[in-house]
This record gives sequence, C-alpha cells and structure tokens, in this order.
Amino acid sequence: MKTLHLWVNGESVSREVADNRLLIDFLRDDLGLTGTKEGCSVGVCGACTVLVDGQPVSACLSLAVSVADCRLVTIEGLAEGERLHPLQRAFLEYGGFQCGICTSGQIMAAKALLDTNPHPSVEEIRSWMMGNLCRCTGYYKIIESIQAVAEGKVSA
Amino acid sequence: MADWRSVGQPVAHVEGPDKVTGRARYTADISLPGMLSGRCLRSPFPHARIRSIDVSQAAALPGVHAVITGTDLPDRRLGRFFLDMPVLARDVVRFVGEKVVAVAAESADIAEEALTLIEVEYEELPAVFDALEAMRDDAPRVHADTSGYAHPPIPDFAHRGDDRLFPAIPNVVSQVRYSHGDTEAGFARAARIFEHTFSVPPVHQGYLEPHASVVHIEPDGKVQLWLSNKTPFIARAQFAAGIGLAEDRVCVNTAPLGGDFGGKGSLMDSVVCYHLAARSGRPVKMVMSYTEELMAGNPRHAATMTLKTGLDAEGRITARHARLVFSCGAYAAFTPLHTVHGGVHAGGPYRIPHVDIEVLRTYTHTVPAGHMRAPGAPQVVFAVESHMDCIAHELGLDPLEFRLRNALQEGDRAPLGEEWRTIRCKETLRAAADTAGWESDKAPGVGRGIGLYDREPGAFGPSSATLTLNPDASLSLMTGAADTGTGSFTVLQQIVAEEFQLPLERVQVVQGDTDTAAWEVGAGGSRLTHMAGRATLLAVRALKDALIDLAARQMGCVADTVQLQAGQFLGQDGQRLDLHTFAAQAQDQLPVSRLGSYVPDPVEVTSFCAQIAEVEVDPQTGQVSLRKLTSAHDVGTVLNPLTHQGQIEGGVAQGLGQALTEHLLIQDGAVSSLNLGDYKLPTSMDMPELKTALVESRSGPAPYAGKAVGEHSNVAVPAAIANAVFDAVGVRLNDLPVTAEKVYRGLQRRAARTDRDTAS
Repeated sequence: MKTLHLWVNGESVSREVADNRLLIDFLRDDLGLTGTKEGCSVGVCGACTVLVDGQPVSACLSLAVSVADCRLVTIEGLAEGERLHPLQRAFLEYGGFQCGICTSGQIMAAKALLDTNPHPSVEEIRSWMMGNLCRCTGYYKIIESIQAVAEGKVSA
Repeated sequence: MADWRSVGQPVAHVEGPDKVTGRARYTADISLPGMLSGRCLRSPFPHARIRSIDVSQAAALPGVHAVITGTDLPDRRLGRFFLDMPVLARDVVRFVGEKVVAVAAESADIAEEALTLIEVEYEELPAVFDALEAMRDDAPRVHADTSGYAHPPIPDFAHRGDDRLFPAIPNVVSQVRYSHGDTEAGFARAARIFEHTFSVPPVHQGYLEPHASVVHIEPDGKVQLWLSNKTPFIARAQFAAGIGLAEDRVCVNTAPLGGDFGGKGSLMDSVVCYHLAARSGRPVKMVMSYTEELMAGNPRHAATMTLKTGLDAEGRITARHARLVFSCGAYAAFTPLHTVHGGVHAGGPYRIPHVDIEVLRTYTHTVPAGHMRAPGAPQVVFAVESHMDCIAHELGLDPLEFRLRNALQEGDRAPLGEEWRTIRCKETLRAAADTAGWESDKAPGVGRGIGLYDREPGAFGPSSATLTLNPDASLSLMTGAADTGTGSFTVLQQIVAEEFQLPLERVQVVQGDTDTAAWEVGAGGSRLTHMAGRATLLAVRALKDALIDLAARQMGCVADTVQLQAGQFLGQDGQRLDLHTFAAQAQDQLPVSRLGSYVPDPVEVTSFCAQIAEVEVDPQTGQVSLRKLTSAHDVGTVLNPLTHQGQIEGGVAQGLGQALTEHLLIQDGAVSSLNLGDYKLPTSMDMPELKTALVESRSGPAPYAGKAVGEHSNVAVPAAIANAVFDAVGVRLNDLPVTAEKVYRGLQRRAARTDRDTAS
C-alpha cells in the first residue's frame, strides 16, 4: 500500500492504494465516482475514458499509482453546478446517446479532441472517436453532436 | 399533425441530463453497506460429469464469506419458458462456461483468488456442437430426460402453428410447423423450382453494460433486487419462483440498462447472487466480466436454413417450403417462447399461396442462445432475401422487379394467412430504390443489393401507467417499464403533454419499482410506444375525468359541462379556472392519481422495411466496403423524430456488424471470441453514408396512429449486403459474416471456372 496523491476534477485527493489497484476501481469504488463505466475491461470499448493531464486514458488498463500527482478529469468534473458543458448540451440536443452507458467515455474522448483541435473536420472526429464503441446509436448522432460544438452551434 | 406541439417533435431524452453527467446509476454502480462481491467458477468442458468438488481451501481464505455448489441448493430449475437450467450445475455440466461454484468475498479480487483454490474433478463425456448432427440417432443427448422440465402454456400472443415440445427427435426442444394452403399442389404447378441452404453463426447483443445484479435481503426476509433486466415484473415472478418465495416478498428496484437488444430478459446470475446473500448474511453484487458475457451470455441463435420455392412461367411464386434449424445451445431457458419467432418470416412480405415452414430448435453442448433484436429474423431474412436474389438472377430478372412482381399489395393475404390493412410494401420498396438510385450507373466493383422485411408492432401482454396531478400542478407519469435507452419514457412524456396541451416541462416520467408501479410487461418486441402509450392514454382520460369532477365543484358547475383544455377548466357559460389556481385551491385533495391498464387488441397492420446496400469490392483482396445504405420504412405517425431516427441508425449498425464484422466463434464447443478485441463491434469508422426514407401514413395501433421501429433496421442489412456483393463481383455467400477471405475464395473459384470455360 502507498499513499497516492492526485487531483480529481480540480480537488486534491490523497488515499492509500494497493500497488495493483486499477484506476477504474479507484475512481468508482474508492472515490464513489461511478460516472466512469467499465465495459470490456481490455481498453477496447472506451467506456472508461478519463482525462489524465488532458490525455484520454482507459481507466480499466491503468494502475491508480501510475497517475500519481496527475490532474484527472472525469465526467463528473465537466458541468459547473447546473451549467452543462457544451458537449453535454450537444449530446442532449442532437441525440448523441441512448442507453447512456458509453456516454461518459464518448464525451471525455470528445473533450480531449476539442481541447487540442477546436475545429476538427468530420473525418477527424470520426477517426478520433474510433476508440469509443457505441451499440445503440450507430455513431451518426455522436459525430453530429461533436460537430455541432466544433462548429460553434452550441453556446458556451 | 401540424398543430401538435409535443408529439411529432424531436424531443431530447427526458432522462438525458442524468446520462450526460454521469449521475445515472446503473446496476453495477449500486453500492450498499457491507456489500460483498460474487464471482463464479465455470466449466472448462462442454459436457462432463462432476465427480467431486473441493471448496475447503476457498472457504478458508480470509475475506471469503460464502461458497456454494449446485448440490447445496434446492433443485429448482430456472427459465423464461422452459425451466431447464439449474442455478449452479448439478451432476453434469453442459457447456463451456456453465456456472459450477459461486463465491462471495470482501472484494472481487479475493473472490477471484478463492476460485483458483477450488478443485473440481470432471469426467469428460462425448459432446455434440452442431444442431444438424445433434438430431442424429447416435448423437450424445444434451439432456438425458426432459420430461421433468416444466413450462407454462404457450402464450396467446405467440404465433401458433403445429407446436410440438420435446418431440421424439434426438435433442430437439421444439418442432413447429406453420402451414397455409397446399404446397404439394403449389410445387406441382411450378415451372421452375429452386432450393438453397444458408447458415448464420451466433452473434452477441454487444450491449456495453455486462449483466449485473445486486441482492439485499432485509431482516424480515424481503428481497431487494437490482438487476439488468428489461421486464421487471416478469423478472420478479421468475425470481420469486426460483427462490421459493411469494412475489410480494421480492422488490425489483429501478436502474437504467446499458443496452438490452433482447439480451437482458433473463435472471442471468441474480439467483446465484441471492443464494450468496442468503448464505453470507450480507448484500452481494455480481457483475459479469465481458469475457463471461461472450462465453456465457445468451447470444442470437445460430441457424441452418433450407428454402425451396416454386415459380410459374411469369416469375410469380407458387409455393415455398422452409426448413429452419436453430441451434439452442445447452439450455432452452433464455427464450420466452418454445421456438424462435423469426420462423414466421420464412415466406417474407410476398404473395405466396402455399407455404410450409418447419422450425426446429435443437440442443447442443454450446452456449445457450437467447433473444436478440428481432429474434430469428435476421437469420431467416438473410436466407429468404438471398434466395430471392438467387432466383431473380437465375430467371434473368432485375432483383427489384422480381420483388415488386411478388410483393404483397392491398387485399393480399400474407404467406401465413394474415390479412394486413394498409399494405405499403411496394411503396416502401420503391422509396428505397428511388432514394438509393437503384438504376444509376455503377463503377466496376460496385454493387447494389436489396433486403426486404416486415414486422408488426408488438404487444406481448398488458401495460399499465399511473398519472398523477401534483400539488404544484405538474403531472407525473409512473411506468413500470425499464429504460433500455430507446427513448420510450420521452414518448410517454410527449403523449401526456400533448393530451393535456401543456409544455413538456410540466410533465415528468418516473420509473416505479415493482412495489410502487402497476403491472407492466416491460420493454421488448417493439411494444412500448404502442402498449405503454395506450395505457398512458387511458390514464390521461381517467385523470382528466377525476380532475374535472373536482374542478366543477370549485366552479359551481355540473361536471358534464366542463372541459379541460390547455391547462384551463372551461365551463359551458364561459367560466374559467386555470390548473394552477385549481391546484392551489385543492391542496387537501392533491395529489390525485389515476391508473390506465391496457390489454392489447389484435394488431391489424404490419410495417415494411426495404434496405439497399451499395458496396465496393476490391477484386484483388475480396475486401468489401459498405459505401452507402438506404433504409426505407413504412411508418405510422412518428411520435419523436429524434429517437425514431436513433433506432433506425442503431439498428443499421447492428445489421452491419452481423453482416461484416461479428462472429461469435465457437471452437470445440467453446466460445473463442472472448473479448471485444476479438469480437468486433462496428466502430465509427465502419459506418456508411446512410439515407433514410420514411413512407408515412396514419395507420398504426400506437397513440396518434404510430407503429414501431425498434426491430426493423437491423434485420435485412446482412441480406442486402450479401446481395450487393453478388451484384458487384458475382460471388454468392451462403453464410455470414461476409468476409474478405470468403469473397476472395469465391473470386478465385470464379476465375478458375472462367479459365476452364475459356480453355474448353
């Protein structure tokens, strides 16, 4: 066991963790942040995508100790109180989700894209989002949602 | 209609804010004080006798609170129709992945470690993996004795044929015959007869939320259950029977599902979870790993299908015979019917006077199959539409023209004798053809193919809804249906808002648990807009009557003379009372609730779906690229264009997956596609240009003359793609998925034939 320190959604967090504790279990069980979901457990489906120092990371493949002193953002960190992030508003308006189980991962991956490339082309969006599986939507409305934010159609 | 304000609008999911913020709590997100994790040891053999199980070391591991084997439990079988599945294997294991021992421990890690300390001695037995082989006299029997397997009567809503359960054919669960007319006579007058055989492997529903369950047994013995199941009341009944309690001693709590697609209608591991909770005295959560889902979920039935069709000299079908063999896997427990419903589609949406369909469902020592979006239909439609295409080409007819010549039209009986009203088969087919540019030029290597299908809106039993006027004059609709993500709750919100002529924000939809909601079948079979919608309308009517009674007294009017419109009670002499004032003055009488319960009338319409795939085939490698897909739908009123289109798009993706990328590979009886890296779900990069055509009419049984759409757009896609490949390069694929290897080999064979022909 060691003491892990990191920032999660802007808050400083210190916890004792076992060396082999997975980041996804640390977030969901130790911190109670269940917005990050576990799907495939092998880093393929993207449902567990969180941002580590701005980079999209599969929490199911990361050890908690590997993100010591990092700044993590999870889905719970996007809205400011009742004020939704533009991506959240776009997914609502454009139907970018149905059952919602992949949605946290989709939105976090999309945020990572727009934070580095605010105006991606449709092809760039489709390619970036290839690591986030969705079984409900067929992806069309996910891409439209992200595109709407990229094109400034969803107010900040 | 143009003056609807809520119905017909692209309203965002009412439960959306919780889903986009991560606040929605799915079953695996539930945490209770003192909760343990449950894990299962599963059989490594497809068929074996259990000689001994030694759990002593596992039970002694610190942190382990319960270890259970099959013989620790009463011998109660589980199942949605056939009760043939033990809670944990007893004496015999029948498929790789069958649950043998269950452990509850302080953490999943400790439970997993405990599993490694369990020693099971097996004696391997001969096994059979292929449904056709399983029906031979010398085949090993998957179940030595089926006579003890209880089942309810076949439900009224099932399409009835000559239904034989456990007939005297080795390993056959059910043998069903649907017939209409006289096929002997029909074939006798045929000018040409064609016969083809097709096969389809199993595919998995691919929901990204693995099955999960949480059980908490309260001090007085009442069971609080959370599980990923889309029919909570049916789950309660089956769970209660499975553990030997009365239904009112079980409460199925609410949680949204992370995808269902037909695969979440069973109890899965929840009864094991209960026994671990009972044994340990602590709440227990069990979450399947995705490997367990692929190994031991309940995938779509594999099928081998032979179709024979006779045609007259004008290319009109005179008779059809079909023999469909569905591979049930080791247990029949995962389907709610005795057979696989899709067999009824073996005639297709065509005018066929003489039809004979035999559907066999056969045990094998493989993962038990269950339901998936339009059960049986993609398999059967792949066969039917490929067969139709083969016939068209043999007759030298354009595949579109051949279908139009035989398509159902108004006044025709469908192949099994149904008399549908407002048949729009040809209109839907032509809409697809026009939208897809069927006639337009194609570059070399490009091909187009058609798939055609019809399905009636579902009913499958009653629905209820409870509508309440709250003290603040808002309305709450409570439904007992589960949220599988389709937007069903939103449609109900729209219906209430429209009927009361109030803004959507004044209407909330609440999912009640099985203690608080009225009985409701739940999600499945494309039934909710129709059935929960109709129940909602009844609740609306009843509540309006009740409110008018109360308001009339406030207004000093006779209730008969008062109307409620757009939030105002209106008396016949001009009296007005708005809903807010009424509520403020009626605080001691509110909330007022009324229940609507709807039992289905027979559905008189079906709904056609015509799809055209455009592919490009690389002649060097056989690689197939799906460039465009056109999906034309015969719809009633579209109550929510956003969620309606969402269903079409998601269905196309699943059809594409079954056609091109998905194959639940079974080798020596064991599933070998054991993670989502091996079992390939379509990604954003796989999706083609999609064009949707809606052929709208006011003709459905749902409120506002709506129909259904959930199980349409996935079904004919594989056939359309296979037919497009044939059009592109002349290679006919008789099985799925369509892969570059198969197309390449087909191209090689064609080239070899051409060489032989030109050489001779």
